[in-house]
Amino acid sequence: MRGATILKANEDKTRQLNKHTLMAYVGEAGDTIQFAEYIQANIQLYSMRNSTDLTPSETSSFVRTELARSLRSRSPYTVNLLLGGFDPRTSKPELYWIDYLASCAPVPYAAHGYAQYYCLSILDKHHHPDISLEQGMKILRMCTDELKRRLPIDFKGVVVKVVDGEGIREVEYEDGGQVLAP
Amino acid sequence: MDALVAQYSQPSHSAQDTTLDDSLALSSKIAPPLSLNFELPPIDSHSAWLRAMTDDHSNPQCPIKIAHGTTTLAFRFKGGIIVATDSRATAGNWIASQTVKKVIEINSCLLGTMAGGAADCQYWLAYLGMMCRLHELRHKRRISVAAASKILANLVYSYKGMGLSMGTMCAGVTPTEGPALYYVDNDGTRLAGNMFCVGSGQTFAYGVLDAEYKYEMEEDEALELGKRSILAATHRDAFSGGFINLYHVKEEGWVKHGFMDTNPIFWKTKLEKGEFSNVTSKLE
Amino acid sequence: MASLFQQSMPSTGPGYSFASAPTHHSSSGPRQHAFYPYTDNGGSTLGISGATFTILAGDTRSTSGYNINSRYAPKLFRIGGDGPENEGARIVLSVVGFAADGNALKERLDTMVKMYRYQHGKEISVHACAQRLSHILYGKRFFPYYVTAILGGLDDEGKGALYSYDPVGSYEREQCRAAGAASSLIMPFLDNQVNLKNQYDPASGEGLEKVMRVPEPLPQETVEQLVRDAFTSAVERHIEVGDGLQMMIITKEGVQETFTPLKKD
Repeated sequence: MRGATILKANEDKTRQLNKHTLMAYVGEAGDTIQFAEYIQANIQLYSMRNSTDLTPSETSSFVRTELARSLRSRSPYTVNLLLGGFDPRTSKPELYWIDYLASCAPVPYAAHGYAQYYCLSILDKHHHPDISLEQGMKILRMCTDELKRRLPIDFKGVVVKVVDGEGIREVEYEDGGQVLAP
Repeated sequence: MDALVAQYSQPSHSAQDTTLDDSLALSSKIAPPLSLNFELPPIDSHSAWLRAMTDDHSNPQCPIKIAHGTTTLAFRFKGGIIVATDSRATAGNWIASQTVKKVIEINSCLLGTMAGGAADCQYWLAYLGMMCRLHELRHKRRISVAAASKILANLVYSYKGMGLSMGTMCAGVTPTEGPALYYVDNDGTRLAGNMFCVGSGQTFAYGVLDAEYKYEMEEDEALELGKRSILAATHRDAFSGGFINLYHVKEEGWVKHGFMDTNPIFWKTKLEKGEFSNVTSKLE
Repeated sequence: MASLFQQSMPSTGPGYSFASAPTHHSSSGPRQHAFYPYTDNGGSTLGISGATFTILAGDTRSTSGYNINSRYAPKLFRIGGDGPENEGARIVLSVVGFAADGNALKERLDTMVKMYRYQHGKEISVHACAQRLSHILYGKRFFPYYVTAILGGLDDEGKGALYSYDPVGSYEREQCRAAGAASSLIMPFLDNQVNLKNQYDPASGEGLEKVMRVPEPLPQETVEQLVRDAFTSAVERHIEVGDGLQMMIITKEGVQETFTPLKKD
């Protein structure tokens, strides 16, 4: 968005950090991509130098530290993040909620911005720790439908990526069409 | 009967002993610009002044704190209307009460809900109850929900810009309309609809309600969904909490389904259904 | 939404008189209005209802900013009854906030209760009086009384009745309520001791097996002692509370008034 104009409708607001860690970002235009690519480059550099990947929890610590350092600089990055990863050593998926003030929390589900107000109650009700991918996609559909139904601004759809033991892949996510309030 | 109606059909203040009220009105020199005799501050900009005194959103140091923050919901389904609310009242960060009755029983078949200023909702819904009773006496039949909500909407519209704060729903079942639900707020908006959530926790309630709402629900499903939606809002919205107040409106009149403490319900929901997985029951 | 307002949280420091409060004069701040007909006279009130009685209490200090203007300025008033001392009254009003508004409110309610008796030939019931008080407060919705009121009496069945109000007239019948400067200190104590909040039956088990204790109406002596404890504690931690404790106990025998000294520093 620039002023009141949409410049691009299908931008991918995620960066892959290593084989099994993905970072999604929202925030101030310019800051977001600069910060995400800076993190991406450093995580990749670590993988090359050490021939091993940082785990998601290690990555979250690094990202948080960088944000905290930025926050105390002259021009801090205004970026909110979700960091999703799969730890191959414990074989467990992990999710970190990070905001521009460098708060970091491991959570089972998360959202940033207005989506928090509409989606967290759905996730509170329907999320269980042992759900399958199909059930997860169903809950995601409930969330996007709710955003379409209730957000006062026109919701331009989502990019969906799955992080699991095999790595990261984008999945097809059909725009289910208009959803009206009952 | 007509004499009785005439006696009570004046605005509530003029119906009382006028000599008493006149002598008590401090601003009797100022012609009352309103239908009911409310005293105004002796300055030009009433509403700006009132805002400076009472609106803690724009002025956190305001001396008179009026409560905000709430979750109320109502939805239509084949068996009538479910009305549910939380029970918390806040003034700034202070929880003024955890036991507020936010469902106002206008009469045996009509319910109103309360969001925004407590006094505004209590007073004007009581006034609406009076107008509904007068309608019954005049026309020998119960007022429609459409007409009742219109009385309220016109009333608050006449005070627009004066600083009233209310977001209310009128729910009732009448033979002509079936289950009818109207939303009325202090802007003068009046909407008929299947489902409304009002208050600071509205989005959280909408989230749960929208995902599973069907008009063809059974009564027990509908009651459970109403309760669960308020629980969702009390969990995520700090301004909502306390007890869940649950009502079912049918054609014979409304039925109360309890004033239930949220805390035991939350733990029951979490432990028996495995929901709220973001909350850990023990420290790791 | 019965918005019981309160003046100052302990975390925000002492409550200022508005005339001497450090106000912001920056142009970006909220607009300042020259018309400011209020001041806060501090103090606290509280009420507890029982099975056959209601107790209202208030401290008797009157402050203006950091000055103490009076050590005996009552906040409790008998409503109705006869003569200048309102003898035989069965309803008590407590008001805290701006004392002049409180006085005006007391006068209006008292007049109204007396008019009711002359016109109807019987005493007004507490619930009718409570509703009328709400309407008096709401009558100044656009120019509010800067007060928090608590009304006490006995209902038609002889049980203790207590009604609490916000400045513009929303009201609720409750078992107990604290209002005024130290309400944030007293109310949590009352929640725990009167409504037994967060108290569990010790025999009921651990963790989620715990069973909440069920509140019952307390005996009069217990309530009187609770009131005294609440105020002696509030005096220790709030500068606007102190000097004396005025209590009015409403039973079917009438209103009994007591006075207990509090610390005067």
